[in-house]
Amino acid sequence: MTKENTKVKVAFFDFASCEGCQLTIVDALQTHLSLLDVVEIVQFREAMTEKGEDYLIAFVEGSCNRKSDEERLFKIREQAALVVALGACAHTGGVNALKNIQPSLQETREYVYGDKADWYEVYPTRPISAVIDVDAFIPGCPIDRGEFVKVVKNVLLGKRPGIPDYPVCVECKLKENVCLLLEGKPCLGPISRAGCGAICPTYGDGCEGCRGIIPHPNENAMKDVLDEAGLTLNEIMARFTMYNAYQEDQIETAEKTI
Amino acid sequence: MKLQVLDKAEISPLVEALMEDYRVVAPHAKGSKFTFETVTDPADLRLDYDTTILPPKKVLQPTKDRLATFTMGEIPQIEDVLEVTPTVVFGTHTCDLKGIQLLDEVFSRDFDDTKYTAQRKETFLISIECLSPCDENAFCKDMGTMTANEGFDLHLTELDDVYVVDAGTEAGEELLAKYGSAREATEAEKQELNQKLGAKWPKFNYKLNFEAAKLPAMLEASFNHPIWDDMGERCLACGSCTTVCPTCYCFNVADEVDMLLTQGTRERYWDSCQLEEFAAVAGGENFREGRAARQRHRLMRKGKYIYEKFDELGCVGCGRCVRTCVAKISIVESFNTIYNGRK
Ligand code: SF4
Ligand code: SF4
Ligand code: SF4
Ligand code: SF4
Ligand code: SF4
Repeated sequence: MTKENTKVKVAFFDFASCEGCQLTIVDALQTHLSLLDVVEIVQFREAMTEKGEDYLIAFVEGSCNRKSDEERLFKIREQAALVVALGACAHTGGVNALKNIQPSLQETREYVYGDKADWYEVYPTRPISAVIDVDAFIPGCPIDRGEFVKVVKNVLLGKRPGIPDYPVCVECKLKENVCLLLEGKPCLGPISRAGCGAICPTYGDGCEGCRGIIPHPNENAMKDVLDEAGLTLNEIMARFTMYNAYQEDQIETAEKTI
Repeated sequence: MKLQVLDKAEISPLVEALMEDYRVVAPHAKGSKFTFETVTDPADLRLDYDTTILPPKKVLQPTKDRLATFTMGEIPQIEDVLEVTPTVVFGTHTCDLKGIQLLDEVFSRDFDDTKYTAQRKETFLISIECLSPCDENAFCKDMGTMTANEGFDLHLTELDDVYVVDAGTEAGEELLAKYGSAREATEAEKQELNQKLGAKWPKFNYKLNFEAAKLPAMLEASFNHPIWDDMGERCLACGSCTTVCPTCYCFNVADEVDMLLTQGTRERYWDSCQLEEFAAVAGGENFREGRAARQRHRLMRKGKYIYEKFDELGCVGCGRCVRTCVAKISIVESFNTIYNGRK
């Protein structure tokens, strides 16, 4: 695996995003030099000008917000043996998907682009898994650099990516943080995917679920608990939808408003 | 050994002296709560704490613990990591003391867990008597853990001006003789001790509506009780109740290798039966897929299964699981509901 010709070729792509996840990767490449012993980056707009098309693994940052972007995703899928969704936008649709739950997509578009609204093509936000098959995801806004390294390693070994399926509370308790919810402050920790080391509660901020929701969350119980903590229904919904607004069935509804 | 006393002002020097040769782990304030931490300054020690977020079991079974290192080359080599840190746990309450006694059994009865026992041998326990309940969730009186006759190396009880020190082991006596400056208790102090221990009893309330000894039989008849579904509806499966429990010991083991596949480490870390993946096995089967089944499992462990295996109830009444549950699920209420509704 150390020999030059056996390095796995990887490429990075971005869609609607802030590029923060790619920046985290630039960081990771500096702190985990051994990454470059096992992979060769052939395309990475954020960090290099060359463009190779012979990649085996594609890391895709950002959500899909335009019909015309689908074509690019299809091409990536065709070329890559493995497609990895990188960060919250690609994984869950991220904050971009908040537009899906606005009353009218057209109004939102006008609000953002003013009288030039019609110049900009837009459709409801989708995580990339809604457009193409995705083999793995690295969650978070932004991603955790240690987790990125771990996933690369696991994927190269042919193992499961190793993203936790348990909630943030587990990591929060192991850190012995004073629980925010028990002090009446909102936190989505009980239903949000761990892996971040409960970083927000550790610094006194409630979790907003940037790493997505765990499989089979007890959403009703979570609503009850937030209600108990004194949040209004609107505040509860705002928490739930911050990073997790995207739902398949909204797309159709949202599309009707444009 | 005769009962000894330590002047209150002698606690800090004792801790300081112990710190020369041991890692001293003791309660410290953390925001509005307390946690066991390694003492760096004896002045930070809080013997007046109520309870801690995690129990002191983390000293013996660290949340993440390296078991081995290995190299992968042609002939793979594996090396156990058995270094231990000589430790004094200073200020455990008696419920947690009982928790540690139970863990001692778990990690040595059928199978000697070398890592645990190695650390246990080098760990000394200085406990402290609770003279009033830590809070309304404590039910140590029901579980018989509100005081202790054994399980400690040294046990402290606070009087008005001094701490009475009782030695439970020779090691405890030696620790006190070597590091402390205790003197023999006077008659008046012995009387004050008896008075304090007597006065404490009525301050603690029974929380269970029945004798804890009835738990195994009661639970035996309750496998299909509707309460499990009710708990499953309310439970978020966050795992906090087991993470904070002094008698939970489940762990998982995982290997980490370096990028070039030359070497790696094997670590064990705490796991929880409340998490969905806990009972999942290869092939996609999950023995306790629903939250109701997982809550039932937890309470069965505490009131029945552990008793059947180790002859002791698996709950020491510390109340942590109740305190920590954001869904307000209470083991006491659940046991009482089952008891009150039995035929
Ligand atoms: S602060 Fe949030 S993440 Fe931490 S234990 Fe409480 S609810 Fe869970
Ligand atoms: S605590 Fe929650 S919001 Fe914060 S990084 Fe972790 S998952 Fe994201
Ligand atoms: S449960 Fe009882 S023994 Fe344990 S800390 Fe509370 S009062 Fe003390
Ligand atoms: S702490 Fe409460 S909500 Fe969390 S797993 Fe335990 S019972 Fe369920
Ligand atoms: S089950 Fe609850 S009360 Fe009993 S020992 Fe565990 S945390 Fe304490």
